[in-house]
Amino acid sequence: MQWLKIALRNLLKNRRRSLVTLMAVAIGFAAVGLFRGYTANTYEGLRQSAIRGEGLGHLTIYKAGWAAHAHGDPQSYMLTPAEIEKIIAVTEADPHVLLATPQLHVAGLVSNGRISNIFLAKGVVPADYRTITGGMSGMRAMQGQDLSPEAPFGVLMARDLATQLDMPPDSDGVIMATTLDGQMNALDIRVSGTYDTGSDATNDKYLLLSYAYAQSLYDTDRADRLIVLLDHWRYTQAARLRFEQQLTAAGVPCEIKSWEELSLFYSKVKGMFDMIFMFIFLIVLIIVVMSTVNTMGMSVMERTREIGTLRVLGLKRRGISVLFALEGALLGLLGSLCGVVLNLVVWAVIRMAGPSYIPPGVSTPVPLVVNLLPVAMLVLALFLTLLSMAAAVLPARRAARMELVDALGHV
Amino acid sequence: MLISMSHVTKTYAMGESKVRAVDQVDLAVEKGEFISIWGPSGSGKSTLLNLMGAVDRPTSGTILVNGHDLGRLSDNQSSELRNRFIGFIFQRYNLIPVLSAVENVMIPLQIQGVSSGQARQKALARLDLVGLSAVARHRPDKMSGGQQQRVAVARALITDPALVIADEPTANLDSDTALQLIVLMREINRGQGTTFVFSTHDPRLLAHVQRRIRLQDGRIQDRREEVADAMA
Ligand SMILES: Nc1ncnc2c1ncn2[C@@H]1O[C@H](COP(=O)(O)OP(=O)(O)OP(=O)(O)O)[C@@H](O)[C@H]1O
Ligand SMILES: [Mg+2]
Repeated sequence: MQWLKIALRNLLKNRRRSLVTLMAVAIGFAAVGLFRGYTANTYEGLRQSAIRGEGLGHLTIYKAGWAAHAHGDPQSYMLTPAEIEKIIAVTEADPHVLLATPQLHVAGLVSNGRISNIFLAKGVVPADYRTITGGMSGMRAMQGQDLSPEAPFGVLMARDLATQLDMPPDSDGVIMATTLDGQMNALDIRVSGTYDTGSDATNDKYLLLSYAYAQSLYDTDRADRLIVLLDHWRYTQAARLRFEQQLTAAGVPCEIKSWEELSLFYSKVKGMFDMIFMFIFLIVLIIVVMSTVNTMGMSVMERTREIGTLRVLGLKRRGISVLFALEGALLGLLGSLCGVVLNLVVWAVIRMAGPSYIPPGVSTPVPLVVNLLPVAMLVLALFLTLLSMAAAVLPARRAARMELVDALGHV
Repeated sequence: MLISMSHVTKTYAMGESKVRAVDQVDLAVEKGEFISIWGPSGSGKSTLLNLMGAVDRPTSGTILVNGHDLGRLSDNQSSELRNRFIGFIFQRYNLIPVLSAVENVMIPLQIQGVSSGQARQKALARLDLVGLSAVARHRPDKMSGGQQQRVAVARALITDPALVIADEPTANLDSDTALQLIVLMREINRGQGTTFVFSTHDPRLLAHVQRRIRLQDGRIQDRREEVADAMA
């Protein structure tokens, strides 16, 4: 404990220098901690909006070969009613599965009688889709009615598309597409409501219609995919592997994609944020290392004679390293503690002020929320402590290696 | 025999040329001796003391301290030897500034891993021996030079070493305090049989010394004087 006492008292003795280093560690800690909290919250939001908002569910099941061959020969790579039944039976046997529902995505032209526009549409089972989007639909601007079995040719039209075609709720129009057999087909639609896809890129082309109506448009009884909703996103990968095996065993080989792969945003935004995080982390790393190396280097320089004395009294080289390692670790630890406090303060201020912003490509303002991550903070504190410990050992080892006579003679 | 040096030479490189700080020295020190090393500045006093204290290594020759050949010890082994066997007193006291008197005295024991409680008890006893019980809790910067050097004496004695080495322990003290320190050291030498080897410039202190070794250009001078002193 004597060594810890020496370390602590020396830090107190050089109060100003220690404080500056402490602040550098603390600010670095808070920067990393807050940004990490922000990205954690953003990932959470993106995960929600991918699974719920984009209606991707957790897993999307296609027939094996869909991705590679469906363009040339869609019909053969769609799921037949018998296959759909089997997949639903296999997946819904899993206790983590809340729902498995078929979809048919179609594309074509939508017309108001005067002008027409390209559309992409999801044909969904309305009740199932409502279950998937769940709480998220409440967040979206929504005019008119939801899809319902009572209005079989009702569609939901994305906000900007409705504006461009001048088709408010209750207006009529036509959708046109080629059937799977290559015939032109046109069906009447009525806009039940308009909705916000959440993204500028899709708000001018998306439609939502019923599964049955999408099938009539393509003149088929098949689905191109099945959406599976789990009770927790953590099970996604495990469920995917299990279903791949079970479906192959059941004679319906499939390819399965997760929400991460299919989401428009998630991987891109995560990739970008992870880059920024690495960048911030690297800067903090450099600042912390430089300031502790500097502080401890000065401390070692000033105390060369003290090091020599302790060595003459019998302290081994290792002992010198330990002494300064303790001092560095103490700096890192105290700095991290100040960092925790700073992090909490900024977090509280953000919570109280509740600012919001509009991220690029997103159509509505998003509240700026920073999560508190106790485990990540603990890991970060430990890491910074070890880091400044290492930064202290470097100059201390050099001093411990000096010839004793030279160390003693040092003024 | 406590120390035996034979044909010990230490050369330092000074730019191009080499300085023989200690030159072919043969020396034997018995247990319980009280020896001063004196001579002009640059004569090699510090170098000689560093060599016998296992602080520095000779360029050639052998040094045995209590039977240990210093040249054969690893760095860690000489650290242990210094810690357990030799006490050191420095010209500039070399107390740790952030530690109190008693904490400074405890250091050599704490290096050995002795518990704080035990070390403290022993340190207080040593401070009592040098007459400093009253300032045990003071930091060095609150003490006079004489007090600091007596704390250093207590620190040198805490491990009950057979040998205490002191390089110009009185150089920074006024002459009265210097004399008191030498008298204190002499008392401990008589009382406990601890061997003292110290260097000094001050001829007045030599009167209290049992054996004087005069150095000149790294060589021991005047063997007769030495012998005469020993017989006196
Ligand atoms: N570390 C060193 N490097 C180079 N030369 C040294 C070193 N230490 C001592 N010397 C040289 O060796 C010689 C003896 O030095 P030493 O310090 O032993 O003498 P000293 O008798 O203790 O002198 P002083 O009374 O001034 O303390 C001197 O010429 C000195 O310059
Ligand atoms: Mg000297």
